[in-house]
Amino acid sequence: MEYMSKSIEEIHEALKSSKVTSEQLVKESLEKAHAHQDEYNSFVTIIDDAKATEVTDSLLSGIPYGIKDNYSTKDILSTGSSNTLKDYVPFFTATAIKNLESNGAIGVTKCAMDEFGMGGTGTTCHTGTVLNPWDKTRMTAGSSAGSAASVASGVYPYATGSDTGDSIRKPAAYCGIVGYKPTYGMISRYGLFPFASSLDHCGCLTRSVKDAAIVVDGMKGIDKNDMTSWDSSDINLYESITGDVKGKKLCYIKELCDINEYPNANDELKSHLANFMDVIEKCKSIGIEVEEVSVDKKLLDALASVYVVISCAEATSNMSNLTGFIFGPRGEGKNYIEMMKDHRTKGFSPLIKRRFVIGSYVLQAQNKDRYFHNAQRVRRLLVDRWKELFKDYDAVILPVGSGPAKKLEGSKDILDESTKALEEHLQIGNFGGFPSITIPAGFIDGLPVGVNITGNCYDDANVLNIAYAIESTMNYKGQIAKEVRHD
Amino acid sequence: MEKFTKEMVDDYADKLLIGLTEEENKMVLDEFNIIDSDIAKVMEIDNIESVEPMTHTLDDFVYELREDVIEESVDIDDLLKNCDDYINDEVRVPKVVE
Repeated sequence: MEYMSKSIEEIHEALKSSKVTSEQLVKESLEKAHAHQDEYNSFVTIIDDAKATEVTDSLLSGIPYGIKDNYSTKDILSTGSSNTLKDYVPFFTATAIKNLESNGAIGVTKCAMDEFGMGGTGTTCHTGTVLNPWDKTRMTAGSSAGSAASVASGVYPYATGSDTGDSIRKPAAYCGIVGYKPTYGMISRYGLFPFASSLDHCGCLTRSVKDAAIVVDGMKGIDKNDMTSWDSSDINLYESITGDVKGKKLCYIKELCDINEYPNANDELKSHLANFMDVIEKCKSIGIEVEEVSVDKKLLDALASVYVVISCAEATSNMSNLTGFIFGPRGEGKNYIEMMKDHRTKGFSPLIKRRFVIGSYVLQAQNKDRYFHNAQRVRRLLVDRWKELFKDYDAVILPVGSGPAKKLEGSKDILDESTKALEEHLQIGNFGGFPSITIPAGFIDGLPVGVNITGNCYDDANVLNIAYAIESTMNYKGQIAKEVRHD
Repeated sequence: MEKFTKEMVDDYADKLLIGLTEEENKMVLDEFNIIDSDIAKVMEIDNIESVEPMTHTLDDFVYELREDVIEESVDIDDLLKNCDDYINDEVRVPKVVE
């Protein structure tokens, strides 16, 4: 009997009734991790000496999971998938991981990611590209690439992720699973490698909405080491899920979802938006009211650049401590300047270097108002518009991206004009710190696509309950990736 | 507004202590041109200059001073595990004063 492809509730029940032991689960998960690694390259580290834990009333006890490699783990290699930290072993564990540990969860892998979370393809990990388990010729998206691929393959029921723009929610869609980032600060960021602090969120990738609720219940909590964390002890996401959506109202954005907005739409985009409208019909069939609303296209068209400007500026500052002196491999040179430059030039991927230079440029005194402050102004206008929508609607529902996973060949992590607002709108969830969840919603040419549900800050329970009800209208809950054949 | 040039890209990279190849330099300018064009459109939004820049997600943070309690420090041996070059408890760093 295999257990790692089951839900957390099912595995917990099997543990409690002694049908399986935690030791057996760890063994199964590690064996699957090694087999998965040979095919899809999802891991920086497989923790072969991971130990079983006691089974308690915690749903997470005794069960293996994956850890994105930008979470600090004491005495376990934590690289952020960067050559600049290829040998870094932290002396402390991130609070979110400690919270999972105290629930008896067992970390068995450190998952590869786009370097420091600064990419969306899964191709910039220092250990190489992560392949999509539905189709190896396609990307997983990123940055939580290894987390998404390994959960989709059934290595374990969940993995942690982090999300600065859409780094949990887009790979979830491309891999046919669930990706959830709760309200900003619900989970402590202490010990998470910072990318852009005002946008960074912790979260998880799972195969069902209920599992996502269970995992975030286990990760969250106020933390004296993260002053942006808040007390959520009165929130129990798992117990809040009832499936009752009577009287709930959703909206979707015309400028993003109407096929007439894309005069040159290809067949894939047409299918994707048609599939999204099918999901809207399913929402209506269970009593959810859904309406179309409009948002100023100028704001939507600017959002991708706004994200790049803000995130690059914050990243440039956050990562100035990567010098190769206090941690990371020392560079070579005649003096400290040359040594730092050697370390950073050899250590960072071209994508990261590009983003640092842009971040530095927009922060210069003479450029700051035009680029950085205007980006922050658009951030406010978009967030204000979404908050207006939340006065009338429980959540915004939108398609994720412009279709299924993109081909790896010819992949580029640079802004694309044609469908960029559709590709990048999940970033609004980070601008506002909104709870946001992606669930699988269908297939195009045998490849999974997803929809996203985003609600107002602190309204996580409502968002998850709606997502759970929508998930229940479809047959994708708990699905394991099956490779699409090309012959 | 001064145009962002190839030479300026190299200069900024140098200040960040990063070396760029010709190809990487071009990638910066290609991406930056898209950003510049988008920001130009943003500046056409009515009264954009009067909008307060948004610096963080939540506007209801509660800041509290906690008690000043002495806590256990990190073990020095643990800290030194990530250092390539040290003698006893001291990290050897390159000379920074000429």
